[in-house]
Amino acid sequence: MADENSKTDESTPATLPTHEELVDERLVAWYFLAALAYLFISMSGGFLMAFQLIKHNPLNGIEIFSPGRWRMVHTNAIAYGFLANAFLGMLHWVIPRLTLRPVLDRRLSLFIFCAWQFVVVATAVGLLLGQAQGLEWGETPVWIDPVAQLGLLLVAINFMAPIMKQKGPMYVTLWYFVAAFIWTFLTYAMGNFVPEYFVSGSSAGAVGGLFIHDLVGLFVTPLGWGMMYYFVPILLKKPIWSHGLSLVGFWGLAFFYPLQGIHHFLYTPIPMFLQYGAIMSTIAVELVVLTVVINFFGTLWGDGRQFWDNLPIRWFYTGMVYYFLTCLQCSLQVTLTFQALIHFTDWVVGHAHLVMFGVFSMWLLGVMTYLFPRLLKQEWYSQTLCEWHYWLSAGGMLVMASDLILGGLFQGWSWAALQPWDASVEISQPFWAVRVVSGLAIFGGQLAFVYNLYKTWQLSRVRLS
Amino acid sequence: MFESKSGVFFVAGLAFFGFAFLSNALVPAMMYRDLPEKTVEELVNPNLRYQFEDLAQRYPESFKKVYGTPPEETGARSEWYDTKIAEALRLGRKVYVGEACWHCHSQFVRPVSNEDLRWGPVSTSGEYQNELQRPVMFGTRRVGPDLCREGGRRSNDWHAVHFFKPTDLSEGSPMPQYPWFFDGSPDKPNDRGLAIITYIQWLGSWLESYPYYEDFVKSPVAEISLEGDAAE
Amino acid sequence: MTSPPANRQRTMFIVTAVLAVLILVPSGVGFVNKLFEFYGVIKGEASGAFAFTPVVNYLLASMGFLCLMLWAIGHGMFHDIERPKQTMLETERMLDEQRATEVDS
Repeated sequence: MADENSKTDESTPATLPTHEELVDERLVAWYFLAALAYLFISMSGGFLMAFQLIKHNPLNGIEIFSPGRWRMVHTNAIAYGFLANAFLGMLHWVIPRLTLRPVLDRRLSLFIFCAWQFVVVATAVGLLLGQAQGLEWGETPVWIDPVAQLGLLLVAINFMAPIMKQKGPMYVTLWYFVAAFIWTFLTYAMGNFVPEYFVSGSSAGAVGGLFIHDLVGLFVTPLGWGMMYYFVPILLKKPIWSHGLSLVGFWGLAFFYPLQGIHHFLYTPIPMFLQYGAIMSTIAVELVVLTVVINFFGTLWGDGRQFWDNLPIRWFYTGMVYYFLTCLQCSLQVTLTFQALIHFTDWVVGHAHLVMFGVFSMWLLGVMTYLFPRLLKQEWYSQTLCEWHYWLSAGGMLVMASDLILGGLFQGWSWAALQPWDASVEISQPFWAVRVVSGLAIFGGQLAFVYNLYKTWQLSRVRLS
Repeated sequence: MFESKSGVFFVAGLAFFGFAFLSNALVPAMMYRDLPEKTVEELVNPNLRYQFEDLAQRYPESFKKVYGTPPEETGARSEWYDTKIAEALRLGRKVYVGEACWHCHSQFVRPVSNEDLRWGPVSTSGEYQNELQRPVMFGTRRVGPDLCREGGRRSNDWHAVHFFKPTDLSEGSPMPQYPWFFDGSPDKPNDRGLAIITYIQWLGSWLESYPYYEDFVKSPVAEISLEGDAAE
Repeated sequence: MTSPPANRQRTMFIVTAVLAVLILVPSGVGFVNKLFEFYGVIKGEASGAFAFTPVVNYLLASMGFLCLMLWAIGHGMFHDIERPKQTMLETERMLDEQRATEVDS
């Protein structure tokens, strides 16, 4: 290990490869387009459930449009359709450029792209046909699980090849990515096979909790932060505030995050001392999150103007503020005092939306805002539409999250007061109505983005011909 | 080590993940090692048998179409019913999962928030050590009521009508309609309809206090009426 | 890297100091308060000593990590820890420059 720390810098190959040799731009664009398509599918699923809750579902009673089934499409399409695809596109850009080495094999990349689209489409179709697996965030029908597992293995191999050739200390982004490849593979295997075939009951609940948690924490979070550590310095044209502090953030996440799975099932028959352990590490990880957030705001310090002038930077830092809020919320809601009141309510739903859309989707949309002009070699058709995209997404998210969190409190109090069950549904109506409106705002924002993208693509075609 | 590939790979990637798996998954699994996992056949109990035979009487045509006719001889008949109940429970769970019932209904009673007053006895580990809880159906959201003490609370025909069109029975319910559990009308449940009703009637049927409403205790808070809860 | 001008540095120092006081004082008060409470439990209750056991476990586990870190420091693993962040920007700049020259030619 000592030679890896030697001063000689061998991380760059002798001759500098060109960008075209490194990055398969077409594939990046395809991944992003696939991601956007699933984003719309996911949002449609969300709307179906949201309209059902306010009792205005126009498609009630049609099997294939059952809101329950679409609710599972909603979460799975966002996790495996939008986030995974957008992350893969981003990885095809970032990893070759950071390591100055292309991925293992371009044909393999293409195969992975097709295989992954098959996995996601098959998942959606399977769910709509009522073949779900009884595991939250892992409802993928059991027969697809091995295929997805294989896909994740290939992804890891394809991207690990350039990283493994790196000599000397690696940049923080690469640590996060290396860890994410291993964790995603292990997490998926654990969550989809262990509770299905090996254990049942409370133990299966513990594994299920660990799976929900690790999927966010060990697949989405490391890829997301790794991405931020790459794009923020590049856009601000200055190095990250402290590379040493990022070490604390990384190892803190690696150690504390996986230990928290059981906090999703507090007050269940799972042994109490394990629940306490999960709560402790959840509060500990909040401190770790603080170091990461401080590091990024330290980087921004002195360039505050960029927050307003540089749209991708605004996406990123808004996401970070939401990340801090959602983690703060987490360290509060994980305590048994809060759990008694808010578990099972819309509070948790608000929290989940704030994490998955408010943080990670916003970051990815920011990356797309930055990369699409470079991929198409054409500036955005309309900056105004880009602004609309940002404000509708960020604003809609803020309204949705605060609305659901507040609604959750009312539901919790209604239940604890032993009011008739109908009362809790009735008091939720206004909150659910506001949720639909905020959802429509977010939807509108994405429509503006896609229209803008289409127009930009048209312009790029005109210029080429 | 802290910045090197191998360090990240082995320490963070494998060791920390493994440690978490050990403490969060293997420890509970080992603690419940002594609780035997019941098969579906072992879960059939007289309470559930009663409900299932009630289904056979209420919907004779549908029942016959799905399960056939029971043998005449008493012993064989009893055995026949038990096998069919197991079959219905398996399909019922599949429907419960496939229709995402578990995303709006939980299956555990917590010791807090007055839940034992509303639903019944607090859930214990043993209740979940069976094939139908693989993966476990704890649930994480309650739009509708908790269901783990639901068996026997309401009649089979209540459930049939409620699945067909929930608002007919509980006005203001946001639950979706499930007409595909029936052949056209609520009095003609198909295989999925019969299975899901059996599954719901199974929930809590193993308890001594079954069905729970019989020892329903009024809330200590005098001015709040509980009638709405029972009537919904 | 050029260091920021002196007055900027002073502002940064003041802001950092104010933030540190704002965060450290309330959390310190809270911690000391809890520590006394904990001491009270150990002293006051018959089975209070048991409250001490999990804390000792945590301390022992963290000792392991402390040793690991000291070992890493001893092996120079924290040496020049900030270099990769500069290398990364440099690489990016080179790639972009190369691309710019390609487009021009």
